[in-house]
Amino acid sequence: MLYKLEKLQRCHGSRTILNIDALEIRPKRIYTLIGPNGAGKTSLLQILAFLDKPSSGKVNFLDRPVSFDEKQLYTLRRQVVLLDQNPIMFTGSVWKNVEFGLRVRKLDAKSRRQRIEEALELVGMENFFDYDARGLSGGETKRVALARALVLQPEVLLCDEPTANVDNENQEIILNIIERINKERQGSIIFSTHYLSQGQRLADHTLLLQNGTLSDIASDNIYRVNVIDSTEEGCLCQLTGQLFLRLPAHTFPAETKVAKVHIDPDSIIFNPQSTNPPDGNPLNGHITELAQDSGRIRVVIDVGVKLTAVLSMEQYRLEKPAIGDKMSIFIPHSATHLTRIDLAR
Amino acid sequence: MDLLFDSVQSAVLLLMSFDAELFEIVLVSLNVSFSATLLASILGIPGGFVIAYATFPGKRLVLTCLNTLLALPTVVIGLLVYSFISRRGILGPLELLYTQKAIIIGQIILIVPVIMTLTIAAISRIDKRYRMTALTLGANRSQMALVILKEARYGIFAAVIAAFGRVIAEVGISMMLGGNAKGFTRTMTTAMALEYDKGEFVLSVALGITLMAFAFAINMLFHLLQGRTGHDVV
Repeated sequence: MLYKLEKLQRCHGSRTILNIDALEIRPKRIYTLIGPNGAGKTSLLQILAFLDKPSSGKVNFLDRPVSFDEKQLYTLRRQVVLLDQNPIMFTGSVWKNVEFGLRVRKLDAKSRRQRIEEALELVGMENFFDYDARGLSGGETKRVALARALVLQPEVLLCDEPTANVDNENQEIILNIIERINKERQGSIIFSTHYLSQGQRLADHTLLLQNGTLSDIASDNIYRVNVIDSTEEGCLCQLTGQLFLRLPAHTFPAETKVAKVHIDPDSIIFNPQSTNPPDGNPLNGHITELAQDSGRIRVVIDVGVKLTAVLSMEQYRLEKPAIGDKMSIFIPHSATHLTRIDLAR
Repeated sequence: MDLLFDSVQSAVLLLMSFDAELFEIVLVSLNVSFSATLLASILGIPGGFVIAYATFPGKRLVLTCLNTLLALPTVVIGLLVYSFISRRGILGPLELLYTQKAIIIGQIILIVPVIMTLTIAAISRIDKRYRMTALTLGANRSQMALVILKEARYGIFAAVIAAFGRVIAEVGISMMLGGNAKGFTRTMTTAMALEYDKGEFVLSVALGITLMAFAFAINMLFHLLQGRTGHDVV
C-alpha cells in the first residue's frame, strides 16, 4: 500500500479541517481528489507530501509508519513531490529552476543535464532553457513546475489543482503529461480538481472530500444560500432566482445572512406521495441526466438548480425515471447540512 | 550663505589637493564602519533569519525588544561599552578603550538590531511558497534557508546599507570610545565635530561632502545591482 491513513485529523485552533477515518491509496494508480473550496484538498495533499503534520491519527507510507520527525520527513520528501496550485519560480532561469532538486540531491552534471533536457522536452518547454523563469505565463509556469517535479522521478506525484488558472490548451497538455507519466513510468499520481469530468477521464479512483471528510459519492449539491427571513418556525432561504427552501431555524447560528447548504443526495425522496414525508421541502423539476455509479443510479434533476439524487437499483427499477420526465422530489430537513459563511473572512 | 559657499569652495579645493590628513580621517572612518557592518551582518542576518522563521515562546517580546533597541542612543551604548572596557571594567586588561576596536564594538551593538529587524522584515515578506517548494523538491533545512536568503537578498542588502549609513554617520560612540585621537581613532564625524568646535568650517564641510559622496556611491551600487533583474524593488 502506498499510503494508509487511519483516524487522521488536522485542526487549526478549534476548527477541524480534515477528519479522515480511513483511507488507503494503492501504488502506480491515478487518484483524483474532488471537492469544493475549503473541503480540505490542499491540507490532505500537504500531509501526503510530508509538508504538514496531522494533529492526530496514523499515516503509513509504503507500509511503514510515518513518525513525522524532521529527519524522517526529509527522507520521505525525497520520494514525494507536491506541485502547488500556484507554483512559484525561484529567481533564475528555467534551467536553474528545474535543476534545483537534482542539485540538492548532489547528482553529477552529466546526469543533471540529461534529466533536465528530458523533463523540459516532456512538458514541451525545451526551447525555454535560458528564459527568466519569473517572466513566464501562467500556463508555462505550471509546465516548468511540472518539469521541476518530474525531473526528480518521484515515487508519488501530488498535484494541487494542476489545471486551475490555465487556458484550455495548457490544461490539455498538463492532463496528457499526467496520463503519460502514469502509463510510461508507472508513477503514482494524486491530483485534486474541481472538475469531476477530469477525474473521471484520468483517474483510476476518485476520492471526494467534503468539509474535511471523505465522501462515498459525488455530490454537487452544495449551494450558497441567502437567508431571506428568519422566524422561530424556520428560515426562508433563497438558493437562486425563484427557488426557496424553508429550513429549521435551529440549524442556523443567530443572525446568519449567508450560508452554504449541502443536500445529501442519498436522502432525497422521489415521488413523496408514495411515502409519509417528514418535515422538509417538496420540489418539482425534470430529469436531465441519468448515470450508473458504483451499482447505484445518479439522477440529476433540474429544479431551478441542478440537484443530484441517488437511487438504488431496486428504486430505479420501481420508479423507471427517464431523461425529460417530470419529477416530484422531497428534501427532508435531515438531508440538509448547513455551514455558515463568514462574510468578514 | 557666504560662509557656507566659501566653505564648500575651500572644501572642494582641499579634496582636489588630496590632503593627507583628510584622507587619513576618511580611511579610519571607512575601516571602522566597514568592519562594524561586516561583523554585525555576520551576527544580524542569521539571527534575523532564525527569529523570522522559528516559532518560540516570547517571540513577540523579542521583536518588541529589537524594535526598542533601534531607538537606543549612541551615548547610552558609549557609556555601556565604556563601563566594560575602561581600566576598572571587566575587560579593562584588554586595553580596548580609545582604540578602533572599541568603536567597532560599540557600533556593532548599535547596528545589530537594525540589521536583524530589517532582515526579519525582508524575510517575512518572502512568499511562503518558496519554503514549501524548496522542501518538496528535497532541500534540507540549510538548503531551504539559502533559497529564502537568496530570494530576500535585496531586502537584506538594504538592511546592511542602512546599517552602514547609521555607523558612518554616528558620532557619540566614536567620540566616547575612540577618543578622537588624530591618526588613530579620528573619524569623519568626530573630526567634523572637533573642527566645528574650533570654528574651522572648511575641513568640516570637506568631510561632510566626502561622507555624503560615499553614502551616495554605495546606494548607487546597490541600485545598479538591483536594476539587473528588473523584478525586485525594495
